[in-house]
Order: sequence, then structure tokens, then C-alpha cells
Amino acid sequence: MPRRRIYDPLTELLAAVLLVVLVLVVDRWQFSLAVLVLVVVPAVLLSGRARQIGLAITLVAGPLLISSLLLHGLFYPEGRTVLADLGVARVTAEGLTFAVRMGLRMAVFTGVLLTAAMTLDLPDLLASMTHRGWNRKLVFIVGSAVGLIPHVALRGHRITRAQQARGLVVGRSPLSRIRALLTVMTPLVIGLLVDASERNRMLEARGFSSSVARTSYLPDTDSHRQRLARRGMVVAVAVFSAAWLVVAP
Amino acid sequence: MITLESASFAYDDGTTLLTDVALAVGPGEYVIVAGASGSGKTTLARLLAGQTGGDAGSSFRGTITLDGETVRFDGVPTDPRIDASVWSAKVAYVAQGAWGQLSMMSATVGEEIAFGPANHGVPADELRRLVGDVAAALGLGDLLHRDPRRLSGGQLQRTVIAAAVVQRPRVLVLDEPFQGLDEHAAQDVATALEDLRRDGTGIVVCGPLMPRTAPQGARVLALAEGRRVFDGPLAEAHRAGLRRYGIGIAGDPPRTAPPAPVDPTAPVLVTMEGVGFRHAPDSAGGRRTSDGASARKVRIGVGPGVRRTRDGGGSRRPPDGATAGSGLTGVDLSVRAGEIVAVRGPNGSGKSTLLQHLNGLYRADTGQVTVGGVPILRQPTGTLATTTGYLFQDTDQQLFERTVLREVAYGPRAAGVGKDEALRLAAEVLDRLGLGASKASHPYELGFVQRRLVAVACLVATGSRVWALDEPTAGLDEPTRALLAGLLARHAGEGGAVVLATHDAAFADAVAHRTVRLDAGRIRAGDADLPRSGSSP
Amino acid sequence: MSSPLTLAPATGGQRPRRLLVVLGGALIVATYLFLVTVQPAEIAGGMGSVASLVTLFGFLGGGALLVAGILPMLSTSSLVVMPLGIALNIAIGQIAGSLGMQIYLDAIGTVLVAVLAGPAAGAATGALSNAIWGLFNPFALPFAAGAALIGLLAGLAARYGAFRRVYLAPVAGLVVGAIGGLVAAPVAVFMFGAAGTFGTNAIIAVFRSMGDKLLVAATKQGLLSDSLDKIVVFVVVALIVYALPPRAVRQFPFARTHRVLGGRTGALPAPSPVKAAHGGGSGVA
Repeated sequence: MPRRRIYDPLTELLAAVLLVVLVLVVDRWQFSLAVLVLVVVPAVLLSGRARQIGLAITLVAGPLLISSLLLHGLFYPEGRTVLADLGVARVTAEGLTFAVRMGLRMAVFTGVLLTAAMTLDLPDLLASMTHRGWNRKLVFIVGSAVGLIPHVALRGHRITRAQQARGLVVGRSPLSRIRALLTVMTPLVIGLLVDASERNRMLEARGFSSSVARTSYLPDTDSHRQRLARRGMVVAVAVFSAAWLVVAP
Repeated sequence: MITLESASFAYDDGTTLLTDVALAVGPGEYVIVAGASGSGKTTLARLLAGQTGGDAGSSFRGTITLDGETVRFDGVPTDPRIDASVWSAKVAYVAQGAWGQLSMMSATVGEEIAFGPANHGVPADELRRLVGDVAAALGLGDLLHRDPRRLSGGQLQRTVIAAAVVQRPRVLVLDEPFQGLDEHAAQDVATALEDLRRDGTGIVVCGPLMPRTAPQGARVLALAEGRRVFDGPLAEAHRAGLRRYGIGIAGDPPRTAPPAPVDPTAPVLVTMEGVGFRHAPDSAGGRRTSDGASARKVRIGVGPGVRRTRDGGGSRRPPDGATAGSGLTGVDLSVRAGEIVAVRGPNGSGKSTLLQHLNGLYRADTGQVTVGGVPILRQPTGTLATTTGYLFQDTDQQLFERTVLREVAYGPRAAGVGKDEALRLAAEVLDRLGLGASKASHPYELGFVQRRLVAVACLVATGSRVWALDEPTAGLDEPTRALLAGLLARHAGEGGAVVLATHDAAFADAVAHRTVRLDAGRIRAGDADLPRSGSSP
Repeated sequence: MSSPLTLAPATGGQRPRRLLVVLGGALIVATYLFLVTVQPAEIAGGMGSVASLVTLFGFLGGGALLVAGILPMLSTSSLVVMPLGIALNIAIGQIAGSLGMQIYLDAIGTVLVAVLAGPAAGAATGALSNAIWGLFNPFALPFAAGAALIGLLAGLAARYGAFRRVYLAPVAGLVVGAIGGLVAAPVAVFMFGAAGTFGTNAIIAVFRSMGDKLLVAATKQGLLSDSLDKIVVFVVVALIVYALPPRAVRQFPFARTHRVLGGRTGALPAPSPVKAAHGGGSGVA
């Protein structure tokens, strides 16, 4: 069951971003670990789609963590405490520590932002941006780009089939692949541009260039309290960060 | 209410259209603008919509009078520029091809309809009232929460119309609103238009063919090569012999000789034996629906995040009811050399799926498919292109070369013909199809009908023995329909075989030796080998 | 004649908010200079809160200011191609994957928009592209400023004729890719300890085994891989735009006025001798 939406998408996104900032500011592995265990894991579990989010985090962060561990674990010229000498590569304690601390930071970074993004309702976010009076061009670009992605992928897939029907066989050589890419890309781009020029006229006809404040068909999920809370969070994190950076060792 | 008086309209390539053409549309009128490809229909529709093309390098001379106010154009750079937003509140325009008219940023039909008024800052309550009213008028009430990018053809067309008329314009201009729709969807759109007309909106519908029936009092403006050839009531237009101008009547058979009898000893070119096939449940293209009109119903899946962002979080949007086309069950079919077989059936019955088994785009789960003596097993699809020539319903997915000549020469080249020979062959085919003058043009600068013909020319030039054609007549004008019928007959006469999936009953009856009916992926029992109606064996 | 149906004589689009653009650009440059010259003391290898904070706020904030400054000046015709470019950037990875390509090619949309609609639209496309990508892959987010730079430079290259000849495109791609690689390296190092794919990390490992500092190794790797990627991207985009119907190119004022494609397309409709000399190349009269 999907989680019930309580806060405005802007509030949720801001909270996620501030949490990432805090992790960067504090820069202690204990704190990063605490955020990971006490915030990210419960949030994922309570999201109602724990499996998908967990999978996405693993897919996005996993390869990076492994390759980071290999890189710093084996090649860390600054390291002094050599645990194993493999000739070209040296396993050092400093390198491993660095890899683990970086890995923790990346895990928190991905975990927090991906959980926030994947529980986000994009139409609500767009509506919220409109209600807050954000630039309508920005709202259009974001909304339309996200809307187009599946369309572009599907169209690309269909064109690939159509070109196969005309005799396209993808060989192994890079040149043959680039050619294949071009035979698919060209009709794809032409088709999208034709649509775009029609959309250009449509936007003009629908008064997109108008300068009055745009309204939204969807209700506003924001409230005065949340606006106050957002400002409060920003101020609190800013003050804390400044204090920490000055006072902390 | 709106009066267009065109002295001339010249495109940047020198083509001049709409010489001394006038059209006036009043409240509640229904005007059909009919003409073959290149007759100036779309140009006329755009002029009515206030798109005078000054920014595209074309020049318009004439006047447009809207609600008593006349705007004059002299074909010079200092001509007035129309305020599209003010104009469209009075004259709404729905162009060809619905995709370009979606904002792509609305996750629901309701938002899409509200897009225009929202841009003008109409308050939320008022927005909801406007959308509700229009949705009720166009029968979209149940679809308001659906994703506009996942609607069927007819639903999408009505959504686009609703978004255009939400500001209650006095006139609605539509360019080929029925193209690619099946009978049922076309009827829905026609009903919606009729409701708007009864409320006093003047309607202008452009198309290549005249409809058989239209609302009481419908007028026809017939165009040929940019000039007016007829202006009067529909009934008179039917009798006015407009065929000599390439303007036919929808549902009329193409002018062609009855198909030559099939030699019963001719070799069998296509066999399908007990073919069963199920679409993969979750691949992007695997669930392509079988009929192009509803091909948009495909459930779209891209990287992990995309879908999620859309249906995460809220129960506001129920899962859409769009279904994938059915697969195939126990399909047997055999087609001899010299034979033309039509496949008919409702949307989603598996017509395109069947067709795509003939060129290896789909591989049968069970049973066997043999084409031109070659069993289709695991060979790459591309290697079958010389055996089976496939015409997609959406031509624009197929063309990619810079000139028409190179486009048509691609097939023979891929089949191993030398470059010079391929170009010579392509030129010959183009001349035969009446496209000789367009050899050096870019395929996408041709009109829809010519582009379609280029795709057909590609098949002819490649020289495949089996042709699989998906809705080959959709959107064609009368002369091209007849030309296509002739091409099919000639191909059969030269020992080829043709399988065509179509909604066009008149065309199928006129050119095919027999019709196979598909229903939910099965060949309907009893009439698997129905002889073509109206012809003696 | 002031009719309510017509527009006043052309007044052009809104002016760009120059101050924002300058501020954004300055912030990005300052951030980069700070990171490579000052090299915050604690980052012998790349860890450190100041460095990562500066990276995040400098590059993201700079990118946001750039976008805020550029958006008001964009015409609707530029606006409608930007989502297309962004969607292409993100979706092409998939198509490339299905065709078995080995490179990412994640800037084709950005470069395409830059060539057709100009450097400003290109820069905004790049920045927003990574911002939106961040919704599915947060690691793309901090590279937004670098992507904006790619779009900006690609647009400038197009303006000064890099797409008028096929053989100029890879040269421009090499230069732009090298600059892009330079800018991306500190982001990768200070945010993520230079973690990347196995391929890029293998290259970094080679330089590290020779004793390079992490930032130096990552910069060298960036110079190598980004240049190669951008060479391919620029050539692919050049071949695509040459294959576009002239009318489609001509609808973009930028491509038209700066004759971005030279005599191929986009030249004014009059049958100029230039067009006859280079047009199409099919040799058919």
C-alpha cells in the first residue's frame, strides 16, 4: 500500500537535501551511520514500496561502492600502514578507511535522495511549484521532460524494430554500432522535432507566453505552517553548520 | 463569423496554393474541406487558425475577418503578426497527429484540458468547472484521471479536442481528425463534434475524402491543386464528379480491376501452422498493441524511477485500463504466390501481431512460420528483410535517409545490390509511382501521402516476394488508393504474395482474394477462407 | 494598426537576467579555482567536509543561477526542444544499451539543443538534464554545472562554425570534452572519492599506482574518457543534424541566423549557389 502523503513535495525534498548537507557538515562516520540506520532504513521500510526503493538504491550505489573499495583499497599511495603488498597494488589501512568512510557517505547520499525522489509524486511537485509561483518555463521543462522519457524510449524501441524490418543488422564492430545508432536516432529526432514544432504552436495558442501568474488544476498541498517549517529548517541547519565548522576540531 | 479570403499562399520552395479561395464559417455550420494530397487543405486550416506562416518563410496575401475585424496580409515582412492566444480563444485548431498537441507535462486528462486556462491564470474553482463542462460534452468524464499519454487513439483525439475547445471558441478547425481511427473511435469523435456544433460552434473538418454522411446542412469545399473546384452541400458534392479531381467518398472501393484468379498449383509462400504467441508482460515494445490506432495504449516502462514518480504516493490515479493487444492462438494460414489476403478484425484482435510474425519481428511461441520457403527460427530479423517487405502503419518510423532516392535505394543496397544499380532501380520505381519529381527531396518534407508512397516504393525496390502491409490505406487520398490497389495486383501478378491488415472493408473487398477475420488472437471459425464478397470464384 | 487580434511589432523576447548569469558563471569558476588551487588542506586523498560542501553549493548553486538567468530569455521554440533534449539524454543510454553500445552518450540531447537553439538553451538543457536525472540517479546531480558547461561550449562551437563541416565536429568535441573532464574531476573527487564505473576507476587506478594524488589521477582520467565520449557525441549529433529536413532546422532562429550548418540546411530558402554546392550530397539533379 502506498504511503499516505502528509507533507508538500517541496517540504520533503528540502528535508532530504538538508539532511545530506548535515551529513557532509558533520562528516563523522558515526553520524552517517546513524542517519543511514535511523532515518533511511525506516523511511524505506515505511514507504510502502520498500522492495523497489531498496533495489534501486542497490543498483545505483552498489557498483560505485564496490569499485570505490577496489580503487582505494588497492591503490592508495598516501597509505603508510601496509596490510598486504601485491606488487603493483598495496592494501593499506588508510586506503580501506578512506573507502569505507566515502562509501558510507555515498550510501547516505543515495539513500536519502533516492528515497525522497521515489516517494515523490511528480504532478504534485509540479502543482506545488506552480502554486508557489515558480517560473512556468521551468515547470514546463521539468514536467515535459519527465513525461517524454518513456515516450522517447518507446519510440526508439519501435523505430529499432522498423529498421530491423528494413534490413538493419547490428554487427559487432563499433562502426556498425554507430551506424545502427544513427539509423535509429535520425527518425527519432526528426519525429520529436516535428512534434515539438507543433507543440510550439500549441503553447502559443494556449497562452503559454501570457505573463499573469499561472494557476494549477491540482489542489495546493502546501500550508502556511509548512512554509514556516521550511524556513525554520533552513535557518537551523545553516546556524548549526556554521557553528559546527567553526567549533568542531 | 470568420471569413478567409486568400489571394495566394506561397511556400518557401515556390509552391503556390489557395489562389482566390474564399471560405466563410458561421455559428453551428459544418464545413468539410476535401482535397487530395497537396491540394492545400492543411494550409487552409492553418490560415483559419491564424497561422499565416510569416515566420516560416512563406508568404500569404489576403484577408481574414474574425468577428467583424479584418486583418490584411500583403506577403511582406511588415505584415501584422497574429496574437495566437487571443485568436485561439475564438478559433480553436486541432492539427494532424495528436502527440504534438499534448503538453506532455500533464499526468491526467483533466490537467491537460486545463492547460490553456491555467496559463491565463484562471482560478482553481473556475478551472475545475470549465474542465468538468467540456469533459461532459465530449464524453470524457470517466477519463479525467487517466494519463493522456496512455489513451487509445479515439480517446486521445477527444482529449486534444477538449483542450482546444475548453475556452469555448466560436469555430473549431480540425485537420484530418479521423486519420488512423477505427470505425468505433471515429464515431465517438464524430458524436463529440456534433454535440459541439449543436451548441453553436462552427466546425471545419479537413480530410482527403468526403464522408459518406455528415450532419444536416454540411457543406463541402473541394480543393484541387490549391484551387477551389466545388463549394456546396454534401449531397451535391457526391454527385458532382469530384473523382476527376482526386476526391473520393469514404467507403467507396478503389477503382481497380478485380483480382486475377490464383493458380491453385502455385507455390505456397507463407505458411503459419498452429502459431501461438503471447506478448511479454513487461517489455517496453513487447506489449505493443496489435493495431496502430491503439498502439498508444502500450504500458510504458523505462528505468526504475520513471514510472514510480508518476504513480507513487497517491491513490488519486487508478491504474489505467489500457490493455495490450491479445497474442495469437492456434493460427493457421497459408498464402500462395499470386494471392492477396486481407486480415480484418477489431482493434487489439492481433492483426499486427500476426503480420509481424511474417518478418520475424515476433517469433512464435508454438507452431511454425515459413516464409518464401524459409522457416523463421532464430535468424536476425534484419536478414529476413529481403524475403518479407513490411509496411508499418506509422511510416515515420521507417524513413531515415536524406533524400527520397537514397531512402528507396537503401533496401536493395541492404540486400546486396551494387550502389549504382540500387540507385538506378530506386529511380525507376519512383518514376513508376509518380514520385519522380521528388527524388532529391527530403522524405520528411513531403506530405503524408507521398511519405507513405515512399515507404511503399522501398518495398517495391527491395523486391521481396512477400508483402506484409499494416493499414496501408489509412489517410490516403483517392488517387493513391487506386495506385496502391494497382501495385498490389501487379505484385501478385508477378508471383508475389500480399497479406494486409486493414479496417478498410471496401479496399479489402476490392483487392483481396479472401479475407481472414481475427478475433482475440484466433482466426474466427467458419470464415477462415471466406471468398471475397461480391466476386465469383 | 493596433488590433486586439495582432501583436505589437516585434519586441523580441525578454532580456536575459545578465546579473544572474554572471553571478552563476562566476560562482562556478570561483568554486573550480578554489578546489584546484587551494586544495583544502585536509584532502590529501579527497575526504573533507569543506571541500564537498563547497563543491555541492558552488556547482549546484552556480548552475541554478545560470538556469534562472537564462530561462526568461528563451523563446517558446527553444523551450519546446529542451525537454526533448533532456529526454534524449536520459533515454539514449537505454537505446544505446539495446544496440550494445559501450559508451554512455549521455550528452547527445544537450549538444543537439545547443546546435539548434544556441549556447544559452544548451547550457540550461545540460544543467536541468542532470537535475532531473538526479531524481533517478542522485550521483548525476552534482555534475549539473559541468553538463551546463558542455551545452554552453557546444552552442558556442556551433555558432562559430564547428558544425559546418563533418571533420570539424570531432575537433570541437575533443576540446569541449577535455574542458568538461577538467571540471568534472573535482566534483567526482570531493563528493564521491572519485568513485565511478569499473572502467573509469581502472584508469584512475593506473595513475594512482604511479603515485598521483587522487585529484590529479581523476583529472587525467576525465581528460581521457570525456574527450573520447564527446568526440563520438559531437560526430553523432553532426550526422543527425545533417540528416534533418531543412525546414525543421530553419524553424530555429539560432541555427538560421548563424548558419550553423553552413550550406547544408538552414540557409535561407532562396536557391543560393552555396546550397547547390553542398546541399544533400546525393548528386541527383
